[in-house]
Amino acid sequence: MKDVWVVASYTIKDMLSKKSFLISTLIILIMIVVGFNIPNIIKAFESSDTEEATEENFSKVLVVDSENIYNGMLEKLNDMQLGYKFEIANSEIQYEEIKNKIEAGEIEEALVITKQNNTVKVEYILEDITMMNSIPEEYTIALSNLYTDAQLSKLGYTEAQLQDFKPMFEYELKQTGEQEVKGNVFVIMLLSLVLFYAIYFCAYQVSTSITTEKTSKIIETLVTSTKPRTIVLGKTLGIGIVGLVQVAVIITVAATCAYFCLPEGALESVLDLSQITPTLAIFTVIYFILGYATYALLYALTGSTVGKPEDVQTANGPVAIVAVIGFYLSYFTMMNPTSNLNVFASIFPFSSPFCMPFRIMMGIATTSQIAISIAVLVATILVIANVSIKIYSNAILNYGSKISFKDMINMYKNKDDRNS
Amino acid sequence: MGLVVKNVNKSFGTKKVVDNISFEMKSPSIYGLLGTNGAGKTTTIRMILGIIKMGSGEITWNGKHVERKHVNFGYLPEERGVYPKTKIYEQIMYFARLKGMDKKKAEENLLYWAKKLEVEEYLQVTPEKLSKGNQQKIQFITAIIHEPELLVLDEPFSGLDPVNTELLKNVILELVRKGTYIIMSSHQMHSIEEFASDILILDKGKTVLQGNLKEIKETYPANKIMLSTVENADSIIADANLKIYSSKDNDYIINIKNEDEGYKLFNLLAQNNIRVEKFEIMKPSLHDIFIEKVGE
Repeated sequence: MKDVWVVASYTIKDMLSKKSFLISTLIILIMIVVGFNIPNIIKAFESSDTEEATEENFSKVLVVDSENIYNGMLEKLNDMQLGYKFEIANSEIQYEEIKNKIEAGEIEEALVITKQNNTVKVEYILEDITMMNSIPEEYTIALSNLYTDAQLSKLGYTEAQLQDFKPMFEYELKQTGEQEVKGNVFVIMLLSLVLFYAIYFCAYQVSTSITTEKTSKIIETLVTSTKPRTIVLGKTLGIGIVGLVQVAVIITVAATCAYFCLPEGALESVLDLSQITPTLAIFTVIYFILGYATYALLYALTGSTVGKPEDVQTANGPVAIVAVIGFYLSYFTMMNPTSNLNVFASIFPFSSPFCMPFRIMMGIATTSQIAISIAVLVATILVIANVSIKIYSNAILNYGSKISFKDMINMYKNKDDRNS
Repeated sequence: MGLVVKNVNKSFGTKKVVDNISFEMKSPSIYGLLGTNGAGKTTTIRMILGIIKMGSGEITWNGKHVERKHVNFGYLPEERGVYPKTKIYEQIMYFARLKGMDKKKAEENLLYWAKKLEVEEYLQVTPEKLSKGNQQKIQFITAIIHEPELLVLDEPFSGLDPVNTELLKNVILELVRKGTYIIMSSHQMHSIEEFASDILILDKGKTVLQGNLKEIKETYPANKIMLSTVENADSIIADANLKIYSSKDNDYIINIKNEDEGYKLFNLLAQNNIRVEKFEIMKPSLHDIFIEKVGE
C-alpha cells in the first residue's frame, strides 16, 4: 500500500508539473468565467446600444396602405415598440419612388399593402434580400393583429371588447405520472455531458501515462522496483486525485461565477437549487470516482498493449466506443427520465456514472436503485481490475507488434507468467 | 550462500526459451552472461529479478527463494529508459522511495554516485536535455541508488565514450569491492573478459559453455601469434607455412594450430636476422570461444 501511494504521489507531482495540463485547466476556467458573464457582456453592449438607439436613430420603414385597408390603424405600429419608426402613407406610391427613397437613405425598407378579393398582399421592399428568406415574423404578426383589430373596429366593438377577444394566456405543464422531475432536463443533460468529459479525459490520462512509460522503456526499471499491480493502482489513484481536484476547482469557479455573475433568478429558472444538496455532492463524487476507476482500469489495459506511441489511438478505440455508447445511453434516455431505459442506464456500469447523479438531482432515483447501481459498478471495477492487472503484467514488457485480442486472452489465461 | 540458479526452465507457449540453466555466485564478483540475440539472456535475467515466474527449477538468494519482497536487487536494462520530462533528482528519488529508502540516505547516495559519475551538475535538469551517455549514467545511478546486493547490468557500456566507459568501470569495480554480486550481460566480449571471472554462454536457451573463464581458456590451445617486426616478415611467415590473419605496417596476427608452430616461427625469424619488437603466443579470446560455440 505504501508503494501505491509512492507511485500515486509521483504521478500527481508529474501531472501538476505538465504545462499542457495547467494550460488546458486554465483555458477551461477562463471559458467558464467568460461563459457565465455572457449575459453581462450582452447587457453591456445592449445598454450602450440603447443609449444611441433613440427614436431618431430607429430604422425608418415606409408602410403604404393606399386602399386604407387598415382603416388608419397602422399608426399603432409605432406604439408596438418594434424598434422601427414607421411612416404611414395612405396614398399610392410607385415602386420607382420607393426605390429612390431607399437608395437615398430616406427609408431603410418599405411595406406595400394591397387587397385582392380576400387576400391581403404585403410587398416587403429593401435594398438587398440576400440574407432574407421571408418577411420578418414581427411584421407579419403585427400586421395580422392590426388587420383583425381594424376589421373588428369596423363592426363597432369597443377597446375593452377587443381585449376580450385577445386575452392573455397562461400555460402550465402537468403530468399524470407519479414521479415528478425536478429541474430542467436539458440543463441536466448538459451537466451529464460535462461529467462524462471529466471522467473520460481523466481516465484517458492513465492510458497515456502507461504508454509513455512503456515506449520510453522506463517500465523495465519500474517493474524491478515494484509490482505491476502497484504501478497500475498507484497511477490510477494519482491521476484520479488530480482529476477530482481539477473538477472540484472547475465546479467551485463555476458556482462562484453563477452566484456573482448571472442575473438574479437565472440559475433558479433552469435548475431546482433545492436539489443541489450535500448528499447529491457526495453521490456525484462517488460516481465520479467509480466511473473514473472503471474507465481508467480499462485504459490501463489498452495502454499496456501498445508498443509504439502511434498505436495509442487504435488500441484505445474499443474503450472509447464503450464510453460513447455508455454516455449516449445515459444522455438520450434522460430526455425521458422516468422511462425504464433511463433506469437501466443508471444501473448499467458503463453508463451509470453519467446518469445516476442526475437521476438523484431530479429526485427520481430510489434508494434501492442507487444501492444496486453502486454494487454493480463496484463489482465491475473489481472484475476489470483483475483482468487489467493480469494483462498489464504480461503485456508491459512486450515491445513487439501490437498485442491482439487473442494475445490478451492468452495473457489472462497464463496468469502465472508474470509476477503481478 | 549468494545466488543459486538451479535447473531453471521457461517456455512461452510451446517455445522453450530457457532450457535447464544452472549456475551460482558464491561471493561478490562479476558473472558474465553471454549469448546471441534471442538466446534467453533477458528472460533469465527477468526470472532472477523476480519479474517473471520460472517454468520449473529453483532460484535462491542467500538460501531463500527469489521473490520481489525478499530481495534487494538492482537492474540496468539493455533498453535505456528515463522519464524524459522529469528532473533527474526527482526521478531517482522516486525509484529510491519505491525501493524503500529513506529520503536522507537516498539523497546521500545520489550525491555520492552523481559525483563519481560526473553528473552532479545535471540533477535539476530533465533528461531530454542530456546526451545518451549521460542519460545512461543516470539510469545506472537509478539501478544502484538503493545499495543492491545483486546487480544485473545488461550491456552497461554500449553507447558510452571511452572516458565514460572508464568512469563506469571504476564504479563497477568499487561496487564489487563493497560486496555487490554483479551479473553482466554484454555483446562486448572484451568487457566481459576484463571483468568477469565466471561466464555462461547461452545459445537458443541452452547452456553451451560455462565455468571459470581462465580455466576455460586453459583448455584451449594457443591459436594466434601477435608479432611486430622492424623488417617485413611476410616471406618468413610464408616459409613457416603459416597464414596471416591480419597485418599492418609489419604488425601481424598469425593463425597457428599449437604453440610449437609459434616457436618454429620465432626461430626462423632469428635465423633470418629479422628484428622482433613483439612476439606473443595467444590463447583464444572470449570472442573466439563465443564464435566457436554459438557461430553457425
